[in-house]
Amino acid sequence: MDSDAIECVGVARKFGVRNAVSDLNLAVPRGSVFGFLGPNGAGKTTTVRMLVGMLRPSAGTIRVLGHDPRAEGDWIRAHAGVMLDNVGLYDRLSAEQNLEFAARVARLSPAEGRRRLEAQLRRVDLWDRRRDRVSGFSKGMRQKLGLARALIAEPELLILDEPTAGLDPSNIVMVRELLVSLAEESGRTIFLCTHLLAEAQRICDQVAIIQQGKILATGDPHRLGGQGLPTVRLTLTGVGAETINQLVLPEPVRLESLGGREWRAVVAAEEDVETIVRALVAAGVGVRAVIPEQVSLEEEYLRLVGGDSHV
Amino acid sequence: MSEVWTMMRKEFAELRGNRRFLLVFLIAVLAMGFIPSLTYAHHHARLGAIGVIFLALYVPFAAVIVVANTAPDLVLHERVGHTLDYLLTTRLSDRAIFGAKVVTAFLVGYVAAMLAVGVQLLAVAALSHNGLHWLYLAVPSARIIVFGVTAGASLYVAVIGTFVALRVGEQRAAYMVTILSVGLLAVPFIVGWIHLSLTTQGIGRDAEWLAFIAVALNVIGLRLFRRDMLVLYLQE
Repeated sequence: MDSDAIECVGVARKFGVRNAVSDLNLAVPRGSVFGFLGPNGAGKTTTVRMLVGMLRPSAGTIRVLGHDPRAEGDWIRAHAGVMLDNVGLYDRLSAEQNLEFAARVARLSPAEGRRRLEAQLRRVDLWDRRRDRVSGFSKGMRQKLGLARALIAEPELLILDEPTAGLDPSNIVMVRELLVSLAEESGRTIFLCTHLLAEAQRICDQVAIIQQGKILATGDPHRLGGQGLPTVRLTLTGVGAETINQLVLPEPVRLESLGGREWRAVVAAEEDVETIVRALVAAGVGVRAVIPEQVSLEEEYLRLVGGDSHV
Repeated sequence: MSEVWTMMRKEFAELRGNRRFLLVFLIAVLAMGFIPSLTYAHHHARLGAIGVIFLALYVPFAAVIVVANTAPDLVLHERVGHTLDYLLTTRLSDRAIFGAKVVTAFLVGYVAAMLAVGVQLLAVAALSHNGLHWLYLAVPSARIIVFGVTAGASLYVAVIGTFVALRVGEQRAAYMVTILSVGLLAVPFIVGWIHLSLTTQGIGRDAEWLAFIAVALNVIGLRLFRRDMLVLYLQE
């Protein structure tokens, strides 16, 4: 069995002359929660469509659960639960009928389908509304029902494209809690295209940031800041910036001014902090505070995508 | 086959909740049921062989009205509501998804036509006080129109309506093209490629050709509308 649930190597997709995705390399370990972050039009949905065999890549290779979506799209779609950015529920049917249809598509026996339908509707707190037509549902209820539908086949891989798009804050919290509970269930791989950077940092084991079809950064969401290196915030006194800038520090250690007396030290390991402090003290700089710093995923995201910050 | 049945069950459940469809269905059955019956009641003494066949043509017409509305709507509703995107993410095959739509549209059209025949029978019985005696059902060529041509026309319009809606995506344009496709059927007769024959044999042959063209178009449509092509159309 492949160790990665999703592997993309040099994947590209063109629409006419426009590159929707180019040279995409991803490795999503089995059982992990992977956040796929990027502004609108970055290539997230195109990537999702290629993963489930809805679109053929123009170049590169993709393996999903060990299978090639081009040749074995049916197998992948049978083993992956997908919720697209437009949930796509049948408005003229009730919540129950929507899930019954999904259960039949998943080829569940009527008894098993019924059992899972009830379990999923209870999980998303829609059991009491099961006989109501979906046309009367709020956006939040539709998102929850979409999640329930994606889960009814108990898939090995769950692909969620913007599950919180267009939701108000209370509904975002509701869907976030659902995602957290899903993330806590072991064994399932979740590929999450999301707006929620803070939540991605909270629940994702790994993230990738994509812009204009290219991956800008990938890795542990807690370590993405400082290009993967830990950082320390320093409050320095006594001498000017010129003296500090002239300090000779071992690679890749460096000091960046944050304005005033505040500095950020990018280090390779914890021992480097000691090296920096010694060098500073030797140069006559007063070190008032040394605070380990964690650059938030949001800060790193904004740094990487620049002005195009509409996730 | 079970996938087609799964899709068809969903389609029928949706149609039950579609007021517009129910209205069109009801109007087609009642209009195509009562109009020929009233015509017969007032003009039965002057109806010749052509008149009998003319009355029989109301039945396939009922099917065409219902199918021309239903087939594009089954697809367009899925496009607008983004449920077609959902279907494409499932294990359902392209053939099951679109084959079920064609079969569903065909069936509702055929059932509407048969119900119209029922209404005609009841209306004539009431109007002529002649019992359940309906003139054209006794004529073999008219029977072929009622049962054979109706089936061929339903299938033809169901196939055209489904695949046109997949490509066009705009409701009014899809309906227009579907109706135009029915008009296209008259072209071979008008330009003289096919000689119009109202004999039992001639009408039977025409019904067989219609069914053959419909099946051939369905096969071509299923081959042309692959999943990845559809995604591109949906993105347009």
